[in-house]
This record gives sequence, structure tokens and C-alpha cells, in this order.
Amino acid sequence: MMNNEITINPMKILTSVYNFFRPRILGMTVAFLFLAVLMVSVFFTSWPAVDQIPQNLDDPSNIQGIGVMIFTDFVVPFEILSIILLSSLMGAIYMAKGDGSQ
Amino acid sequence: MAIGDFAFLIPLLPALAFVLTFFLGKKLPNGGAIIPIAAIATSFVISLLITLNLLQNPEEVITQSYSWFALFNVGVLVDPLAAVMLTMVTFVSLLIHIYSVGYMSHDRAQSRYFAETALFTASMLSLILSDNILQLFVSWELVGLCSYLLIGFWYQKPSAATAAKKAFLTTRIGDVMFLAGIVLLFADLFTIFNGTIPAGTYILRFDEIFAHIPEIAAINANILGMEVSHITIITLLFFGGAVGKSGQFPLHVWLPDAMEGPTTVSALIHAATMVTAGVYLVARTFPMFIAAPDSLLVVAYLGAFTAIFAATMGIVMNDLKRVLAYSTISQLGYMMLGLGVGAAIGAEAVGVSLFHLINHAFFKALLFLCAGSVIHAVGTHDMRQLGGVAKVMPITALTMIIAAFSLAGFGIPGTSIGFSGFMSKDPIIESAYLFAESSGMWLPYLFSIVAALLTSLYIFRLIFMTFFGKPRTDYGGHESPASMTIPLSILALFALVFGALTRTSFYHFLEETFTNNFVNVDIPALAEMGGYHLAAHAGEEPMLVLWMPLIVAVAGLLIAYLVYGLKIVNMDNLVSRNNPVYKLLYNRYYQNEIFTDFFSVKVIYEGFAFASRSVERGFDWLVNWISDITIETGESVRQFQTGMIQTYATTVVAGVGLLIILIRVIMEVI
Amino acid sequence: MIPVELYIGLAVIIFTIGLYGFMTQRSGIRMLMSVELMLNSANLNLVAFSSYNADLTGQVFALYSIALAACEAAIGFAILMAIFRMKDTINLDSFNVLRW
Repeated sequence: MMNNEITINPMKILTSVYNFFRPRILGMTVAFLFLAVLMVSVFFTSWPAVDQIPQNLDDPSNIQGIGVMIFTDFVVPFEILSIILLSSLMGAIYMAKGDGSQ
Repeated sequence: MAIGDFAFLIPLLPALAFVLTFFLGKKLPNGGAIIPIAAIATSFVISLLITLNLLQNPEEVITQSYSWFALFNVGVLVDPLAAVMLTMVTFVSLLIHIYSVGYMSHDRAQSRYFAETALFTASMLSLILSDNILQLFVSWELVGLCSYLLIGFWYQKPSAATAAKKAFLTTRIGDVMFLAGIVLLFADLFTIFNGTIPAGTYILRFDEIFAHIPEIAAINANILGMEVSHITIITLLFFGGAVGKSGQFPLHVWLPDAMEGPTTVSALIHAATMVTAGVYLVARTFPMFIAAPDSLLVVAYLGAFTAIFAATMGIVMNDLKRVLAYSTISQLGYMMLGLGVGAAIGAEAVGVSLFHLINHAFFKALLFLCAGSVIHAVGTHDMRQLGGVAKVMPITALTMIIAAFSLAGFGIPGTSIGFSGFMSKDPIIESAYLFAESSGMWLPYLFSIVAALLTSLYIFRLIFMTFFGKPRTDYGGHESPASMTIPLSILALFALVFGALTRTSFYHFLEETFTNNFVNVDIPALAEMGGYHLAAHAGEEPMLVLWMPLIVAVAGLLIAYLVYGLKIVNMDNLVSRNNPVYKLLYNRYYQNEIFTDFFSVKVIYEGFAFASRSVERGFDWLVNWISDITIETGESVRQFQTGMIQTYATTVVAGVGLLIILIRVIMEVI
Repeated sequence: MIPVELYIGLAVIIFTIGLYGFMTQRSGIRMLMSVELMLNSANLNLVAFSSYNADLTGQVFALYSIALAACEAAIGFAILMAIFRMKDTINLDSFNVLRW
């Protein structure tokens, strides 16, 4: 009994592997090729704009700066974003609510 | 203002009458016959005045010319040739129109009839007046169209519709040849001018054409290894058109069938407006013909052959109108022969031929109108059912007998005594003799003599069978009304005396056709170019030759009298299906079988049917193949459209990846 | 000091994982999650470049795009609910009305 349970049937494994991969083979191939292309692009491109500028390792926190920028330079997008958020939530609720019978 | 300035009105008035009659005719009495009659009468008066004017000084011909487009013009040319034709056509047409008022009085479509005949006359007049070959061709086609309309006037009858179609298609063969000749002529003239034509020069005008005959003759074409001058080709193509229009062998088959129209239309076609167009064309371009080697010989041989060929068929026909139809073909053959013997007598041939044309117009119109009168009164045109009509219709009978004598050519040679037909046919036969003497070709002369015998035979057979003897069937006949008998009488008068009165002045007049202020052609020089040897003038033949036409005419009359008048020979033995000669003639040499059943149906129709079937099958296969391929491609390609976003996204990403690779590769290469 | 390529490489890997999920998964919710992954890999790029340029604009926009992703997720789930109500499934394979 035990022997039967741990019997390894290579054919069966291969078949299951094949059955696992078969529907995904196209997606995997494309994704892998795309990854390769992007990786090649990333690592074989020089990034001159960022190389020279040193990072400010002394003060890693920039929450304050972000907050100041949101409420000074980017206050209009912020307000528009709030309206979009509100309206999209309203729309989502409306759609999810259905015809009200439930 | 000189009367010549109104020449352009001659065709325009009947054309206007066509429009008026066509639209207003139904509201007027007699189908508006008065409009075309008045218009043609005016045209007749103008033509007559012009002709009389031209008689005084024949060198001063009338020319008017207006630019049409590019190298072509519309114009009017009234030289002696055109003048006599104009007068004849308007006169005969006028009489036929007057006669038609009585003849067509029972027909409901009267206004259509008068409109179409007016257009017919107008196009023929325009054909005659043309001063360039293109305008002539346009009118030529119009004449063909009108003949189609009029032959098929009773289009409810299938036989009439078929006859109209046949006439149209048969003449079309000739028309195409004519057009080909014009195109070739134009191309040659263009070459001669080297493509630079001075302003105001219309190269298809007759004076330009005639002026450049030597250059055209110098151009040679190589056909089947033979050097043929272009002028020969052009003239033969023109003659092909004339063969179609004038019913010469082998394109004569439409003429007898054209009897399906009203008898007046037959008279119009046969006498005045249509079949003479071919003869007129050859006469008009005569300088080209005489400069072309062999062309005139073809004309002479074909004319003589047609004369005898049609006459043999005329003998056995039992239909009144068919006899006359074959008679017309035969006489047209004479006219062509008259032109063809120009190879021996030069430009005089035009006068000889045209004189016969004019006289023929008179007596043939008379014959047709008389036949129409008989048919109108008796109601049948089978001669076997007629007989003794002379007692019932004396005027018709008398006029018809005059016409018959004229057609048979009775007269005394060497004097001015004789019927018109004699005055004009005799010179043709004499010219044929001269032609034979000078060239050694006796066949046309022999043909013309035998045809004269046959002519006399068939026309008097018609007279005896129709007007004399006892009535073979019961028919109630009556003399026709005055509107029909008066034109008959006038025409009879012309058939009687016109030839005798005008013979010498006519020839003299027509001699000026090619030497005047418009064209000045040296005919003898051109004849030299064509290789013809011009003989001396007519009138110096042996006695026997002079008397021969009369002898055969009398012989024909006697035979007809003995056989059909006294009935000394029992015709039943001869006229039977067992007699092979009779059978051959009665079946018209099996032309119908040969041309229609065999040639048209078997060869052309079947051939085209087979060709078109094959082509159709080819196209079918191609179209089906294309559609099959498209459908199959679509069936396989549409599998890509799964409708699932995942697949689309995969494809997009793969595409973007490929694009990036591509760009990188390109960047590397650059 | 970590070179910027590593940040970008990480973003690419996350993006590819999201892409793979989007391409292969059938459930609508899983696909939405994959879309979120791809979106956030872009955010990662924004932050990385912003940090290496000493310019805070990129980080601000990362925040904005996170907010927009919230909108998108809300709408997406609402649509999925509508689909579920109509077809009793959120398996988008059976929802191929775009098909020929």
C-alpha cells in the first residue's frame, strides 16, 4: 500500500507538468520575452541624469516636503483628485448597488 | 443676297419639320403632314433655284464652311453633282410625301411616319450637301438609323422588326468599312501634313483630300506580300460602305426585306434617299477612285455582277414589291458599273452614272407608288392573285406601264427619242463596251447586256400578270384618290421625257463637278496614276452595239408577252419544285440558307456563343476562386479574435516587445 | 549606494508578474489585482527617479496615482459585481461578447 502511494510515475509527472504549462505557454513565453527585453533595456542604458546627483542619505525623511508641495504647488490637482475620487466612489456604489431589489 | 447663301436651309427645314411633326403632329389633321410637305417643298424650291443658277456658270460652286472642332468643319458644298442630287431628292421626296397623305390615311401612327420621313429626307440632304467626309459619314449614319425606324415602322409585326434589324446590321458592316476608310485617310493626311496643320485648313474637306491624292497614292502598305497603295485600300473601304448602303452583292440581302415597311417608305428608300447614297459616295470621291489602281475594276465587276444576279431573282418572285426590290438592286448595279467604267471614259462616268441614278429615281419611285396604289386598292401584293387590274385602275396602270418601258429602256439609239431609262441606261452599256474594248475585259459588258434582257423580262412579266388578263381572284378595287394619282402622273411625265430633254445638258453640267473654284482635279493625270487608259468618247461604236440594248429589251417584252400574255407556254411545267433552276432562283440562290442559317447562325452565332461561354466559365471560376480564398482566409484569421481581453493584452505586449527589439536593432545598425 | 538600475529592474519584474497574471488569469478579481501590480511598479519607478533627482514632484505624483488606483479599483469591483449579477460568475472567459 505504502509502496503504491509513493510510486513515482515519471510519465504522469511529465503529463501533469505539461497540462500545467500547456494553457499558459503562450502567456509565459510572451511575458518572459518581454521581461528580457525590458531588462536588457534597463541594464544596458546609461542614466546620465541620475548618476551625477548624490543622494541625501542624512535626511531620508521627506514627508514634510511632500506635504508642503501638495498644498502649495499641486493644490489644484489635489482638489480635482478629491472630486474624481468622490465621483468615482459614488459611481461605484451606484453600480454595485444594482436596481435596489436586493 | 444670292440664293446660294440659303443652301444650308435645305437640310435644316426638313429637320425642323421632323421636330415639329414629332411633337405637334398628333394634334393636326392628317398627322401634321402639311409641315414636312411645306418644308420639303421650300427645300425643293431652293435647290431648284440653286441648280438653275449653277447651270448659268457651273464653275462658281457654292461653298460655306464653319469650324466645328479641332481639324473638322461643318460646311455646305453645292457643286453640279450635289445640285442635281438635291433637286432630285427633294422633288421625289416631296411627291412621295404628298402621296403618303392618301396612302397612310388609315394608319394611326401617321404623325410618327411623317416625322421619320422628314428626318430621313433631312439626313439624306445633309449627306449630299456635306463638304467634308466626316459630316458625310454622320449623315450617312443618320440615314441608316432612319431606314431602321421606317422599315420597322409596323414594329408590331415580327417580320417588320426582323427586317429592320437585318437592314440595320447589314448596312452596319458597310458603315464600319467606311469608317475604317475615313480613319485611314485621316491618318495618311496627318502624316502628309507632318502633324502641323495650318489654321483654317480642314484636312477632311474634299478639296484638301483631292489635292493630296498623289501623296496618299505614294504611301504603300504590305498586305500578304503584295505592295498595295493606301489609296486603293481607302477607296475599297469606301466602296465597302457603298456596297452596304447601295445593296450591292453580297450585302444586298437587306433590300428585299426592307419591303416590310409601308410601300411609300420603300419608294423613298429605293428611289431617293437611301440606296443612292452609296452611288453618290463613289461619285463624290471619284477622283480618288480613278487614281487608285484596280479599285474601279472592282467597282465595275461587282456592279455588273450585281445587275445580273439580282435580275435573275427578279424573274421568279411572285410578290409585287419584291420584284421591284430586286429591280432596284439590279439598277444600282448598273450605276456602279457606270462609275466603274470610268476606268475607260474618265470623269464622264460620273455623269453617266448619276444620270441613270436620277432617271431611276423617277421611274422607280413611280413603280413603287403604282404598286402601292394597287396594294392600297386591292389589298394583296401576290401577283398570282391579281390580273386585269388595268380595267379597274386605268391611271395607275398607264403610269406603271410608262415606268416599265422606262425601266426596260425603250428608245431609238442615236436620236433623242426614248424613255428616260433608255437615255441613261444605254450610255452605261455603251461605256461598258468601250471599257471592254480598251481593257479587253468583256465580262461586265456581257453581264450588262444579259441583265438588260432580264430586266425587260421581269418587269413586263409583272405588268402582264398584274394589269392584263382575267382577274384570278375576286378583289374589290377602285382607283386611288387624287392625292395619290397626281404624284403618279407627275412622275410618269418625268419618266417619259426627262431623259430625252436633259441628256446633253446634264452631261455637260456634271463635267464641271471636279473643275471649279472649289476643287480642280486633273482627271486624266490621276487616271494615269491609277494605270487606266482613257478611251475616246461614246457614240462611235458599231451599229450592233448601239442597237443591242434595244434589241434585248424588245426580246424581253416579246418573251414576257408570249409567256404571260398569250400563255403559249404552259408555265406549270417550268414553275415547279422539280425544276432545279427555278428552285435555285426561287430560293434566291439559297442566300438565306447560306448567309443566315449557315454563316450567321452556325459560324458567327455559335462561335460567339462558344467563345462567350468559355469566357464566362473562366470568369466564373476566377470569381469563385477569389471568393473562396477570401472566405477561407477569413475563417482561419477570425480565430484570432477570441473576444478575451487576456489574448488582446498578450498580443499587444508581444507587439510592443517586438517593436522595442526592432528599434534597438535599428539603433545598433545606425 | 544602490544604483538606480536595480530599482527599475525591480519595477520591471513586478510589472512582468502583473502582466503575466493579467494575461493568464480568468477571474476578474485576479486580473484587477494584476493590474494593481503593474500600476504600482510604475509608482515605484516614479519614486525611484524622484529620489535620485532630489525632486519631490515624482513622489507627490506617486501619491496621486495611488489615489487614482483606488478609484480604478472601486469602479472595477463595481463592474465585476454588475457582471456577477448578470452572469452569476466573475470568470471573464465566459464574457467574450467582443468575439466575432
